[in-house]
Amino acid sequence: MAEKTEGKERVNVKRDWGMQTQSLPKLKPSTFQGRVPRSPATRPMLARVAESLYWMSRYMERAEHVGRIVLVNFNVLMDLGDLAQNMQEKQWLSVMRILRLHTTPEGMQILSQGDRNIGQRVAEFMAFDTRNRSSLINCLTKARENARSIRESISVEMWETLNTLYWAQQADDAKQSLAESPQQILNSAIMGSLLFQGVTDQTLPHGQGWQFIQLAKHLERIEMTCRVIEAKFDILKSQEWALETSLSNIQWMAVLRSCSSIEAFRRRYVGDLDPQRVVAFLIFDKESPRSIRYCVREAQKAVAGIAMAAHPLEIDPLERILGRLDGQLELAETRELNSAGVKMVLEQILENTGEAASAIQRSYFLH
Amino acid sequence: MFQNYELNNIFDEMFRETGVPRQHYEPVYGQLTSLNDGAFQRRRQMADISFRNQGITFTVYKDDSGVERIFPFDLVPRIVPAAEWRTIERGLEQRITALNMFCKDVYHDQHILREKVIPAEMIYSAKMFRREMLHVNVPNDIYIHVCGTDLIRDKDGSYLVLEDNGRTPSGVSYVIENRAVMKRVLPSLFESYPVRSVEEYPFNLLQCLKELAPARSEDPTIVVLTPGIYNSAYYEHSFLARQMGVELVEGKDLIYDDGKVYMRTTGGRRLVDVIYRRIDDDFLDPLCFRPDSILGVPGLMNAYRCGNVALANAAGTGVADDKAVYPYVPAMIKFYLKQEPILNNVPTYVCANDEHRKYVLEHLHELVVKATNESGGYGMLMGHQSTAEERAEFAKLIKADPRNYIAQPVVQFSQCPSLVDDHFEGRRVDLRPYILYGKKCVVTPGGLTRVALKEGSLVVNSSQGGGSKDTWVLEEVR
Repeated sequence: MAEKTEGKERVNVKRDWGMQTQSLPKLKPSTFQGRVPRSPATRPMLARVAESLYWMSRYMERAEHVGRIVLVNFNVLMDLGDLAQNMQEKQWLSVMRILRLHTTPEGMQILSQGDRNIGQRVAEFMAFDTRNRSSLINCLTKARENARSIRESISVEMWETLNTLYWAQQADDAKQSLAESPQQILNSAIMGSLLFQGVTDQTLPHGQGWQFIQLAKHLERIEMTCRVIEAKFDILKSQEWALETSLSNIQWMAVLRSCSSIEAFRRRYVGDLDPQRVVAFLIFDKESPRSIRYCVREAQKAVAGIAMAAHPLEIDPLERILGRLDGQLELAETRELNSAGVKMVLEQILENTGEAASAIQRSYFLH
Repeated sequence: MFQNYELNNIFDEMFRETGVPRQHYEPVYGQLTSLNDGAFQRRRQMADISFRNQGITFTVYKDDSGVERIFPFDLVPRIVPAAEWRTIERGLEQRITALNMFCKDVYHDQHILREKVIPAEMIYSAKMFRREMLHVNVPNDIYIHVCGTDLIRDKDGSYLVLEDNGRTPSGVSYVIENRAVMKRVLPSLFESYPVRSVEEYPFNLLQCLKELAPARSEDPTIVVLTPGIYNSAYYEHSFLARQMGVELVEGKDLIYDDGKVYMRTTGGRRLVDVIYRRIDDDFLDPLCFRPDSILGVPGLMNAYRCGNVALANAAGTGVADDKAVYPYVPAMIKFYLKQEPILNNVPTYVCANDEHRKYVLEHLHELVVKATNESGGYGMLMGHQSTAEERAEFAKLIKADPRNYIAQPVVQFSQCPSLVDDHFEGRRVDLRPYILYGKKCVVTPGGLTRVALKEGSLVVNSSQGGGSKDTWVLEEVR
């Protein structure tokens, strides 16, 4: 009986298009109503969880970059053949500079002394030295620590991918295999990070948590890309480097490789390795997921999603900062890029991302 | 692999007599003896790697730095036939019912003290007796929602209760994960038995927690409160939150305001209805209990007493699992339920009692002495394995503070085969089933079988080198 009346009422609702909803008696909720219940509204997440997701993602992205930068530099040096000692040092110094390590005491020690060849020393320092806060292993450890504190908020697959990667790099023979074949171990770190991103995209609902992960990843990528370009500018301009094309070519190819962009660039410009184009591609390209502009736009999307769920009526300061950065890039693209101009653009970008990072902190993590 | 297996003159889970397995162990015995040891070792490694990659670890504290360890997993299952389980189930339900009535009574009218079934000084001197809980009404009058009771088997195989863990018992995540790993590494062995599932535990726990929510909301917000990532049971906290689909919070994520508890989210505050807390009473609320605690939430107890937030387990349940109150549980069962206890206690001497103390001091070499407030295998004297100095030390401790000690005869509890290097040896096992007590009482069919992996050891705690086994409760035969 009861079911019948309920059925009738539903028909009424349909015919009146819900005009009378208020005067209708409330339907008794039951498990089998023949209709799928509306999915509940997404809930804002714990501020601490958001923060851990953010740092997990940033460290993961950083680990990937560190791995790639060291790997690429090994290959560059192989291509260059026998370089004078001070040239080699210069080259590795630029690697350290990307991560702002050349001025730390440990970093200076690694650069200046030791009996083994400098390449091995720096590579080991960058990959496995726990004194180096940006070493691959430290980045992975921090990513994992963050993930471990929020395991209930990430998918099992994400956790197992990250945890397995961590233990592989932590293995007793990891150092040994770096000496034998840097390619092998560094590549596995890079691929591990990419796998993690794929797993994240396909197993975690694309809600606020996922958006924090995207935001962090893209901000980190912007910063690293900026610094890679910046460091290469320094090395190419310094006096020891005669600006022979072949040498400079190798250097610019290395930049593209460090940003995982060489193939995309070749297709776009059919192989012409003009430094200006390389820089323009890395900063302004709209399609390459490695270009700064692309990352800025992705970050903007993520922020829009986060802000919409958190406080739909306000404009997030973060949205303003990223919007401004996007505008600045738009403007810069129309100008001719000389060295000074590039430097200025890079500085602008880094300034904005720094500001963005502290704005996130204020808006979402410090409640 | 079983050639030199010793029965050690105690109850053996697998063997009736040397070389003759009990009926319910026959398929296991058959398969284990047919595996060559290389194959078994490989499976054990598979299990270890699986635990590590899933991050199922606990933290051991040493040299100031926590080291992540795998909880050693022993591949030989422990099997409980349906009939045995029926008794255990009934016994545990009876026990938790009485313990809950006791908590309600002791924090309200105290009939049991007035009728002198339990000496009042025993209760008032219990460190876990919380004056703050007197005349506080808790949802549904239930205090212990989650209980892990430790059982051992004496020489003739009957189950005895060693202790009740009615505060924040841990280990249930291993029950579920052990099962998952077992299915992965020894599927054919598993399939040869009708084993009851343990996977419903998180669902049942969630139901139990939902029942506690204040009436205000239809869709209550439930959280698991953890001391944080460095706690040794952190994995379990995160596991349960994940399985139930609720938030895992730390004290700093919660905030008390105007009689209510909120959590800090990216979108501001959100009201919390039920807290499954995995933090001891002492650290729950610095305004009420230990003022130096930074793990808890200042004001939480106030919200709790107002009925605006529910805690599971309730504050103050420690009074029921105090080791000096434990000897009175059979009396509680008779007093509240007018029934005979189905599961017996281990005989216990209470040192606060003059006669008992005299006996204990004279027989220290054949007793196990335990501090009433310690757990995890700390603060214990194993009389039969002790030196004269250790006994003298404990005699001094007991005389100085008799209330703080109890003593029990050394129970030669049962053993079960464990893989040692390349063969099997008997190792002592206990059993911790998990009981959920809400509108109905659910004893999860299974439990954590802990193993003392050291030869001859009677201590099964993970902090003291214990491991665990998957526990198979069999379906009723129809």
